Amino acid sequence: MREQDIELFHRVQNKDEVALELLYDRYEKLLFSFSFRMTNNKFLAEEAVQDVFTKLWSKSLPYSEEKGKFSSWLLTITRNACLDLLRKKKSNDYELKERDALQEDNDPSPEETAEWKEQHEEIQHAIKELKTEQQEIINLFYFRGFTQSQIAKKCNLPLGTVKGRVRLSLQHLNKILTKKKERGIRE
Amino acid sequence: MMDKQCDLLLDYFNGHLTNQQKAAFESHLKDCPSCQEELKELEELTMDLPYASEPIAVPDGMKQRILSNVKDDSQIENKATFDQTDSEPGPKPPIKPKRTWFKPFMVAALTLSLVGNGAALYYINEQKDDADTGESFSVDSMKEAYTLQASEDIEAAATAMMIEQNRETNLIIQANNLPELKGDEKYQVWVLEEGKPFRAGTFVTNQDGKGGVSYTLHDMKERNYDTIAITKEPNANSQQPQGDILLSSPL
Ligand SMILES: [Zn+2]
Repeated sequence: MREQDIELFHRVQNKDEVALELLYDRYEKLLFSFSFRMTNNKFLAEEAVQDVFTKLWSKSLPYSEEKGKFSSWLLTITRNACLDLLRKKKSNDYELKERDALQEDNDPSPEETAEWKEQHEEIQHAIKELKTEQQEIINLFYFRGFTQSQIAKKCNLPLGTVKGRVRLSLQHLNKILTKKKERGIRE
Repeated sequence: MMDKQCDLLLDYFNGHLTNQQKAAFESHLKDCPSCQEELKELEELTMDLPYASEPIAVPDGMKQRILSNVKDDSQIENKATFDQTDSEPGPKPPIKPKRTWFKPFMVAALTLSLVGNGAALYYINEQKDDADTGESFSVDSMKEAYTLQASEDIEAAATAMMIEQNRETNLIIQANNLPELKGDEKYQVWVLEEGKPFRAGTFVTNQDGKGGVSYTLHDMKERNYDTIAITKEPNANSQQPQGDILLSSPL
């Protein structure tokens, strides 16, 4: 039987190596792929994943179920780890052009996939329906982790409007996603 | 009423505030329903975005590296490759300028950190206390260590190590006191065979002029490298050295 994330999490916090490995296997690929999306650099992505598991292992972390899904919480920690690394490397505007070098991934591990794949396609499609400016602002804000003023500069916007644009773009994306989900149910 | 603090929400969300700014914002957040709501909204609206990432294959050996590093990572406090302005509070080990901080038996922990597609990056940790020796390597076996000589007018210092791992040779470079890079400039490591240079890792330095890289030399057995050198290159793409040799050592 698949153990609940939360249970594994507590065991990892108590330095249970078996649980560490189970949790690692469960999230390795999602966290790595997300970290790569954030950093565009395999080394940083691996380091981010390592930072996340190091935290889970050696720090007492305040996750509880009221905070929502464990996976969302874990992804937030992962994102913060990536942002920290990017800041330290000062490489927000320094991209190793690595995408070409990446292996296509034709071998998805069994567990991750069904759910991730479905969500992935849904979101990809939804993002594509956004106007280019809105896609860009979500990319800069969420995935690149730009500061407000970097976004303003890059998008040629007055500083004071950035927050509103970010919200609007995210709200719009969410509306598209919700519509897709409703359609999905009806079909 | 919009408070000036309310404008910091995005930078708070992305972790860009200094500790002081962060504390101020968090105290504002307690009393500002509109920030509370917007923050919650941001969290909810971005919750599914990680799944937009393209699934990619993880680097070979990542699991083993990470799990073994994680388990003996508690003593790691300092990564020489990155700058030391960590946002997390806590005492920092003192950094002695120009110390010869690499000697095999003085390395507190050598952590294999990042490997992908043949290249590896190791971190060598500053040792907290000179008396505190005896920690072991977490990698397979060290073959050779070299101290690179700085060219004239160069203050920098660097060490190179060859480590055998999984029957491959990892070349690990750590450098100190390198001049600051500008723009796209990168430091490039080369290994030379009879004067012919081969790329062997690219790195950037932190504010303290420290940096390092590890690189897998797949063809070490077949080749007869005689020299290792570091140059400063205009970007990460130089196929031939364009800058002068800053540091070098015979192999
Ligand atoms: Zn506010």
